[in-house]
Amino acid sequence: MLKQLLQLRSARLALGLLALVLLLALVGPLVSPYPPLAGSPEILAHPSAKHLLGTDYLGRDVLSRLLSGSPVSVRAAVQVALIALFVGALPGVLSVYLGSVVEWLTLRFVDTLIALPFLLFAVSMTALLGNGITQAMVSVGILLAPANYRVSRAAALSVARSQYVEAAMLSGATLSWIVRKHVWSKVLPPIAITLASTLGHGLVVVASLTFLGIGVRPPEPTWGGILASDLGYLSYRPYAPLFPTCLIMSTVWACNLLADAIRDVSGESGRLLLERVASPTARAAQPPRQP
Amino acid sequence: MPVNGDVLLLEQPRTQQTQQTQRTRNTYAQPKVARLRLKRALRAVLLPVGAFLPVFLLGTFVTYLMGVLSGLSPAHLQLGEAATPQAVARIQHEWGLDRPFLVQYLTWFGALLQGDLGRSWYNGHSVSALLAARAAISLSVAGLALLIGVSCGFILGVTAALLQTSWVDRAITAFTSLISVMPSFVVGIALVALFAVTLGLLPAAGYVPIDEGLWGWLSHLLLPAVALSFDTTSEMARQLRVGLIAAYRENYVTGALLRGLSDRRIFFVHVLRNAIGPALTLLGMKFPHLLGGAVVTEAVFGLAGYGKFASESALRGDVPAVQGVLVVSVVMVVVFNMLVNLLLNRIIPSAAGAAHRGA
Repeated sequence: MLKQLLQLRSARLALGLLALVLLLALVGPLVSPYPPLAGSPEILAHPSAKHLLGTDYLGRDVLSRLLSGSPVSVRAAVQVALIALFVGALPGVLSVYLGSVVEWLTLRFVDTLIALPFLLFAVSMTALLGNGITQAMVSVGILLAPANYRVSRAAALSVARSQYVEAAMLSGATLSWIVRKHVWSKVLPPIAITLASTLGHGLVVVASLTFLGIGVRPPEPTWGGILASDLGYLSYRPYAPLFPTCLIMSTVWACNLLADAIRDVSGESGRLLLERVASPTARAAQPPRQP
Repeated sequence: MPVNGDVLLLEQPRTQQTQQTQRTRNTYAQPKVARLRLKRALRAVLLPVGAFLPVFLLGTFVTYLMGVLSGLSPAHLQLGEAATPQAVARIQHEWGLDRPFLVQYLTWFGALLQGDLGRSWYNGHSVSALLAARAAISLSVAGLALLIGVSCGFILGVTAALLQTSWVDRAITAFTSLISVMPSFVVGIALVALFAVTLGLLPAAGYVPIDEGLWGWLSHLLLPAVALSFDTTSEMARQLRVGLIAAYRENYVTGALLRGLSDRRIFFVHVLRNAIGPALTLLGMKFPHLLGGAVVTEAVFGLAGYGKFASESALRGDVPAVQGVLVVSVVMVVVFNMLVNLLLNRIIPSAAGAAHRGA
């Protein structure tokens, strides 16, 4: 499956870009030419040999700020995606096995989470709970969980009620063998697809929060925070927002590309899975599940 | 179409009765027809309410719980560094915060149902009044964004579907997938840089009430509304394109063509009606994003709407104000989704049931 994925040009491109971003996050602070918080008398300078991307309104080197801001921005997006996966996928799989009460409760809860105005809640939760990066990660992760819930639930449903699992049980296969042989390969692709797109979504949300000065407080550099400090000085450096924007958007684009590539390789249509969960008639048409 | 369905359904019991008991036909059949009609009407009203009641109850509960979990108290806001335990306890008592959780929640919820959202911890004003003062800005930005998103999305989607596989279709698809990945603050900054700073056509920030001239009002809202509408535009266009293409492949379109109906009639009567369902459902799901996205656009464009109110109050630790703004947004989402459902019910009666189960 990984080999197939690497044969796709789009997947190679996406993975390459993501590796580059990861590298940026790992070594960025080490190679930044100036300290990110150190001002200088040259304020709002245009790009030059001394300051490759120019300086901001306090004379801080933009390149250094972007490089030093990378670890926080990338790590936050990864943590959000992992929290969303954990909070969403676990109840999603369990809802298939733990009976109708848990099923009903989790479904209603997920419906509610989807209906909430996302950013408004993310901002309020983070700021009320103490305005730190951890609070931001947890609230955004919980708010992004519904997609993971739906996808993993759909995958678990389709496996639990399939005839080949039943056949394997009847022929005396152990549970771990069934999980390794049948369940794992069925459940993993849709979850990987959602994880990749959640990663992109999480990056945008984290950038939006830091843009508002929430989650990470202003002097400390982040991709979103740099955008916010550029906003007031557009008439001096109208091209300034391009640098953080390019970073954010190419990362998000790579995530989406990767999600599409996994979808193509696994032959899994994410949309179809979602519909199967949404329509109760399809659920009713399934044969009753075996304990 | 719905009228035919009605008549068919209602005629059946009546013909059976004519065969069975001729005498009671007039006295019996009429109430039964009326009862069936009533049942239908009740279903149309109660089903969406039943679907959205849990969302409302859970949403408001989560909102309240959030305030409690924050562990904030008006004492910190009012006393600051000078807080002695006695003074904190006195203020806690004044605001009724020393009562059990459930009592506090039920009091809050009861007041909420009467439109009372409590008083702000920051300045003691009624939260409902504070929110009402900002409603004009938020609703006009969100409404305008919805209008732009729906009309642009509609035009793009229909054009792409009608010119399917041509370069226009490919260009529109590329454009919609590009704008769907652009975060609204990026779009907002790009619009300010282009239209306000470089071209100087529109103001970059601020708000002018509609009483002081329509153009002044519109010019201040146009850029934020466009920035906010991109997401809706792209989703609407994509969904409509897929729906229209699928509907054109149906047998009833071939039938209509064979009957010699005009292209326009086939499009408006047969295809559009069947294709618009998913797009409308999507609109109901996109509305929360529209309300939430306002947090960012209002910051970019310096508008004092709900988003700014929420983030400022939350940073200050003003719990009742944040709860108020969140509750109002949840109510708006629920009401908007119910309206979408009623509309769906009118256009495609058979799809309505599935729609609010999906929402």
